[in-house]
Amino acid sequence: MINKIKEFRARYNLTQEELARKAGVRRETIIYLEQGKYNPSLKLAHDVAVALKTTVDELFIF
Amino acid sequence: MHKDKKRLFFMGLLSTIVFLTVILLAIMEIKNGKITFGSIFSIIIPLILIVFMVFFITRKYRDLKQGMPLEDERSEKVINQAAKSSFYVTLYWLLAISFFENFFAGLIGQETLEASQVTGGGIAGMAIMFFAFWLYYNKKG
Repeated sequence: MINKIKEFRARYNLTQEELARKAGVRRETIIYLEQGKYNPSLKLAHDVAVALKTTVDELFIF
Repeated sequence: MHKDKKRLFFMGLLSTIVFLTVILLAIMEIKNGKITFGSIFSIIIPLILIVFMVFFITRKYRDLKQGMPLEDERSEKVINQAAKSSFYVTLYWLLAISFFENFFAGLIGQETLEASQVTGGGIAGMAIMFFAFWLYYNKKG
């Protein structure tokens, strides 16, 4: 699974820390998500998508 | 967030209790003049763990102040994996301690190990293995 978290984060000028706070997770989780080292649960994927004002389908590509 | 603050408070409280217990143990050992390699070892290991706990609690408190949760989905998964792995390895570690009791006793200048030393060694081993596995799974993602 690949994701566009970094791309969307850059679009809204968010740091990893800011995105982590918006999504309600720790900064390390965002780092590992961006690196593709961690596959999020559906809830986390949804929370990150909402924080980046997009949908899960657009953010994560299976 | 309130739940996280409570959790951090109890971690700090537990560390303080352990620290005070170690200090009390050290004072008693010095008073009785019973300072052996084993007793020094049993004081140093908890102190090292307390240093890690202080570092850990300080970092978590800073994260909490910045509005980040103490644990999230990924970090809880890492902890659970590390706990699972360290549990299984500890079973073999405890078996090793009982099979090679004379060897370990010889290392600290004794003929046999006392029950408290076996328990302490088992717990210390499990703690070290948990930390090692936590590092591994945290790095792995």
